[in-house]
Amino acid sequence: MLHYVTINVDGADIKAPKGTSVLDAAIEYGICIPHLCHVPGLSDFGGCRLCIVEHTVNGRTEITTSCTLKVYEGMVIMSNTQIIRRLRRNIAELLVAEAPNSRAIQDIAVRCGVEKVRYPFRNNDCVLCGRCVRACNELWQAKAIGFVGRGIDRHVEYVFGYRPDFCKQCGVCVQLCPMTIPPCDGPMKTGEEYLCGKCASQLMIAEAAPEKCIWCELGVGFSCGRYQGAKSR
Amino acid sequence: MLKLSTENDLKVMRKNLINDRRKMSKTIIMCGGTGCKASGYQEVADALNKELLMHGVDSTVRLRITGCHGFCEQGPIAVIEPEYIFYCHITPADAHDIVAKTIKKGEVVERLLYTNPVSGEKIRTESEIPFYVAQERHLLSQNREINPCSIEDYIAIGGYLALAKVLDNLSPEEIIREIKMSGLRGRGGGGFPTGRKWTECYEAPGDEKYVICNADEGDPGAYMDRCLLEGNPHRVLEGMIIGAYAIGAAKGYIYVRNEYPLAVKHARIAVQNARRLGLLGENILGSSFSFDVSVARGGGAFVCGESTALMNALEGKVGEPRPKDIHTVIDGIWHKPTTLNNVETWANVPSIILNGAQWFASKGTKGSKGTKILALTGRIKNTGLVEVAMGTPIRKIVFDIGGGALNGKAIKAVQTGGPSGGCLPVDKFDLPVDFDLLYEAGSMVGSGGMVVMDESSCMVDVAKYFLNFLQDESCGKCVPCRLGIDRMLEIITNITAGRGTLEQLDLLEELADTVTQTSLCGLGKTAANPVLSTLRYFREEYEAHISEGKCPAGVCQALIEYYVDPEKCNGCGVCIKACIHGAISGQKKEVHVINNELCQKCGICRSECKFEAIQAK
Repeated sequence: MLHYVTINVDGADIKAPKGTSVLDAAIEYGICIPHLCHVPGLSDFGGCRLCIVEHTVNGRTEITTSCTLKVYEGMVIMSNTQIIRRLRRNIAELLVAEAPNSRAIQDIAVRCGVEKVRYPFRNNDCVLCGRCVRACNELWQAKAIGFVGRGIDRHVEYVFGYRPDFCKQCGVCVQLCPMTIPPCDGPMKTGEEYLCGKCASQLMIAEAAPEKCIWCELGVGFSCGRYQGAKSR
Repeated sequence: MLKLSTENDLKVMRKNLINDRRKMSKTIIMCGGTGCKASGYQEVADALNKELLMHGVDSTVRLRITGCHGFCEQGPIAVIEPEYIFYCHITPADAHDIVAKTIKKGEVVERLLYTNPVSGEKIRTESEIPFYVAQERHLLSQNREINPCSIEDYIAIGGYLALAKVLDNLSPEEIIREIKMSGLRGRGGGGFPTGRKWTECYEAPGDEKYVICNADEGDPGAYMDRCLLEGNPHRVLEGMIIGAYAIGAAKGYIYVRNEYPLAVKHARIAVQNARRLGLLGENILGSSFSFDVSVARGGGAFVCGESTALMNALEGKVGEPRPKDIHTVIDGIWHKPTTLNNVETWANVPSIILNGAQWFASKGTKGSKGTKILALTGRIKNTGLVEVAMGTPIRKIVFDIGGGALNGKAIKAVQTGGPSGGCLPVDKFDLPVDFDLLYEAGSMVGSGGMVVMDESSCMVDVAKYFLNFLQDESCGKCVPCRLGIDRMLEIITNITAGRGTLEQLDLLEELADTVTQTSLCGLGKTAANPVLSTLRYFREEYEAHISEGKCPAGVCQALIEYYVDPEKCNGCGVCIKACIHGAISGQKKEVHVINNELCQKCGICRSECKFEAIQAK
């Protein structure tokens, strides 16, 4: 039998089975915490830092990622304070400046309130969210790809640089990649990147009616969260 | 040699060792640390051995190769016991004089003595040297008394007595209470109370627990842990055994970086010797407590000094930090309760047990107790390892121990705590070395690096240097650290290249705040400190770069122009020969001129000129 605990997210008491993460519990109840590297069913490694929340323990508030934080009875979480919104916006800004050529990232940037990108665009092909690596390693146990290098040299690569036999070309890495769907107006050329922001008008709906967020137009690029099949175009 | 099976065995062994050593009339103590190794102690030691044989005194005079004495700048160093005559910068050719004069006749070889850089007089003994006088060398002083490869040396000076005391009549709770009362805080950087860490680990559920010694020290210019592990590995080991007994661990690891070959070697020898004597392994000193230690070598990643990354590395995984929502004292290596402490923290444990918590707590300030080893480097006269009581003002360390600025320049700032620390300006030099006060001032004690900078250092360039280091060393797992540091570096590089704007300063501040608050591990959380502290105390330098297009310290190449000071130039022609771009012209004995169109600002002429005639504006 599942044991349930009650946690408080943004003032709402919600029930969640023991052992789940705060992010999963919140999404289940229609409180959308923006996230990128989290994929239901895969381990969480806290890489993108978009799902940060304020977690209050013994009167001390610390900022931590909700995907790696496990629920316990009586925990208090704030997912949408002014500080969190500002930090989340700054992280999304870093991401969109790095890889503007992705609908998913552009959507996340809008969702997190980025209005202007203050860094020069870079047009990289990968934001190292690690979705592909974890799916390959955990879902299919193939371990054909992994992270190589550290810091700015970090990249996703086959084992020893070439495709090994144990890669069955299942394509799960491509399927989960946030970079596969180009922005609405088509791919951007190097030097001509911009912040799309066309779906900013939908932000009102997403903010006001939280349940909208999960099925919302934002994030259709790679199907936000657990409701993967709920709506796709 | 027999195993020690009771506390009494240890005491008997110690007594015998002390009696043995009394037979030696004199001892030449030669520093064999990494610093002195680089300056060639090995040749000197060989020469000394030969001379001792030739003079026929090798049976009464002992040559002891020890760990680091701290005054690395003066190496190779030798100290003659029992008078403690201090010789520095020794060459193999001096060996004859040392043996023939000092050992045989008791005369002092004047030319080898240390010269006080302030007054210019020769100083005879170690205890009179100002560098040592102002220190409180509690941990470091043992270094010169023992050969790190000899467990007998350590036992002779009272080693493993604390362990015997613990096993004989202290319960784990009593040890933890003692550590708690002493107020010992983690020396690795965070300053977390050690007693609290041990309590949490002791109370954590599970029978299988671990202790780890973190010797993965990677800060530029800091080498406190190396010195301790090289010079006194048994003390660290003893601390670990006591800690393991207190929390109930049966297995320990020393994680030491592979770039410290001597530390790896000495730690391994120490573990082997301790095992041989029965101080590690099954039923230590006849008690029911069993514990063993392995030495693991690091693979060269700075981030593996972070606790969870270190544990990942020990488990054989990629050395990346993992989320710490559950602390490592509950969910550590192999998801078992783990106590991880820094080398210096472990080394402090035996003396707390032996001398009592009161003794330790009597030193230091309200929040920070005991002594701290600092690696003092930079633009000062005396550099090396110093150990001071917590609460010593920075001014005393820089000016009394360090001897003040080099070449009469004015000291501008001190960078404490390595890449995670911050820069403090001269008017903050009255701040004491204290975990909380330095943190409030925007810096930190950190692991103990202390880099002194004078007016020839550009603070924007300093921030750039540390960001460059951190960008290289970030594991790249989380976005704020990987991209945030990268973008901060981009902005600062723009500023030093003269492309900065004032809006970028605000962006830099906001970004630094984001990186601090949202990064996954300690590396990212502190990565912005060099930027934030220089922005806080030296904002005018940033502004000078941006609005005036000038680098006040004359460091940032894009913003400076070299010129010849006509009053100082005597037309010697050295700079003309040195300039590889042919940018300097002029007749002999006439003032030279730099052609700024050809000048590539490499700075060679400036460093070649003996009259400081070439200057930057």
